[in-house]
Amino acid sequence: MSQVTLYSVAYTLSDDLLRAVGSILPAGPRGLVTSGTAVTALALLVFGAILLAASMLNTILLIWWERKLLGRFMDRRGAMHVGYAGLLQNFADGLKLFRKNTFQPREADSLGFYFGPTAYLATSLMIFGILPISSGWNAGSLPLTLLLALTIFSFAPLFIFVSAWSSNNKYSLMGGMRSAAQMIAYEVPLLLAVVAVVIVAGSFDLTTIVYEQQNYWFWGPLVVALIVFVAGMLAEMERIPFDLPEAEAELVEGWNTEYGGMLFAFFMLADYLRALVGSILVVLLFLGGWTLPTWVPGSLTSFPLAGIVWFMVKTYLVFGLFVWVRAALPRVRTDQLLRVGWNRMIPLALLSVFLAAVLVEVRCLPVFGCVPSAGV
Amino acid sequence: MTEEGTATEENPVLYVVRPMATAAKQFAKSLVRPSTVIYPFERLEDPAFREEVAVASGKPIGVGAIWDNYRGVHALNIATCISCNLCAFSCPDLCIEMVTVPGGDPKHPKKCPEIDYGKCSYCGFCSDACPEGCLTMTTRYELATAKRSEMVYSPEKLYEVFRTKLPMNPIRLERPENEDQILLDPPLCIGCNACARDCPTACITMLDVAKPEAKAGEKLPKRIWKEPVVNDSDCVRCGTCISVCPKECLFWGKRP
Repeated sequence: MSQVTLYSVAYTLSDDLLRAVGSILPAGPRGLVTSGTAVTALALLVFGAILLAASMLNTILLIWWERKLLGRFMDRRGAMHVGYAGLLQNFADGLKLFRKNTFQPREADSLGFYFGPTAYLATSLMIFGILPISSGWNAGSLPLTLLLALTIFSFAPLFIFVSAWSSNNKYSLMGGMRSAAQMIAYEVPLLLAVVAVVIVAGSFDLTTIVYEQQNYWFWGPLVVALIVFVAGMLAEMERIPFDLPEAEAELVEGWNTEYGGMLFAFFMLADYLRALVGSILVVLLFLGGWTLPTWVPGSLTSFPLAGIVWFMVKTYLVFGLFVWVRAALPRVRTDQLLRVGWNRMIPLALLSVFLAAVLVEVRCLPVFGCVPSAGV
Repeated sequence: MTEEGTATEENPVLYVVRPMATAAKQFAKSLVRPSTVIYPFERLEDPAFREEVAVASGKPIGVGAIWDNYRGVHALNIATCISCNLCAFSCPDLCIEMVTVPGGDPKHPKKCPEIDYGKCSYCGFCSDACPEGCLTMTTRYELATAKRSEMVYSPEKLYEVFRTKLPMNPIRLERPENEDQILLDPPLCIGCNACARDCPTACITMLDVAKPEAKAGEKLPKRIWKEPVVNDSDCVRCGTCISVCPKECLFWGKRP
């Protein structure tokens, strides 16, 4: 039996569906419907639908996970009444937002006002097409997957700024400017930390990066890069303590002040989609992706879809780390934010690049459990 | 840089590690049982719930000591109420109205407090003032109603609360030492019996006084030759006699 991949699942589904439809049609249309082209086209659609549904479902679960964790950090329980342990609370909230009226300020620029959130959500969703969840569970293995993912990830300040500017509100504009400044300040150390990983793994392909971590996960030797990457991700995701663009004590609600109803839900979803992407990238780059160390008993890694299960467990734990940071740390000031970004993060990132080069030179570090000659 | 706060900002241990450790400690503590009481399903006054919390957290729930002093809905024992009006007098929110209840004679209708919880501030002055200890505050705290008129609790409704035997506030029955008493200014009294008639505890009796001999050219005042005598151990200091006296001859004071 060949390996089950996301595309094979989608192809089988659409093939069965079109055969069932074709069996009740006369011969002429039947040939048209069950042709290879039609099956492939439908398979692509099903593939996209599965990705969309899975990412949206995970996003909503992530919000639930954050509410529950944050509740425990604050000595309370979080959502607990709608559904088991409050699992359906966010679906109810989403339905409420979906039913609300969409409005815009009188002087707002309609094009930017509606284009901003839509493009923000759409680009955030695009990343999921290329992130491998397990071996074979991605749209395609591009040689530069990581670069493409980070490129799409860094579109966001543009759309945030567009929607903030077209809201015609001073708080929105200030939030948008802060957002752009912050994201650009933290893009550099983030990419440098990624460069350290790429140097060690020798590839921009995320699947290759994961398989390069079979001997040891990268978080150990590249712990400096991990710290820089997590801090940069926190700033990119605009989460506490780097949520200056949304600083509700000074800027009302930041760049989404004027948004309500479904457009606000777009922003909210996209924020958590980006948080999910950030957690997934941390898992892929530093925590071995869907693989487990070799000393783990085989029964834990051999059940069907074990890769996806372990990948999601790791992702939610990494997001738990983000929630922990949110629960513990206060918001930084703008000057602190930029000073930490330019004065601390970039030297640390450069240091991590240097360490990665050293690591490649000695092939591996004995402390992390591999023999020096095995890595060649 | 000499700014305040720079030191902590430069020190990642103070600025990052310590708060994260504190948060982790809190997380571990509330993982078993957060402090939140899931109110409609768990109630602080429920002994089973308090026992459960005490077992889970290893120590009794914090409100145990103050719970007995809780000031909630009043309980009224209609049988012992003497219609003295002191609760209504002492109410700072004017939420107590004395309404007639069955049980009095036609001449002296029995009046008991009716409390409007829309106005009540739960200060507890009324139950402190109540001389008979028949108006007390209980631990009942759920008062949500669909209509505003349902917020007004008639004496019968308060009696129902009394019959539930909820824990009640300690009643202040001891009198302070050297309390003010009802005193009489004899020359002003006309012996009209109003005070004795309206006294809720019937502690005032009208005793005869000797009619003085009129001197030459002097006219005796036109009055009944009786004067009120207050049985001080029975008096509840409600002041009804002072307020009904037509000549203002009764007053508060200390007996020399």
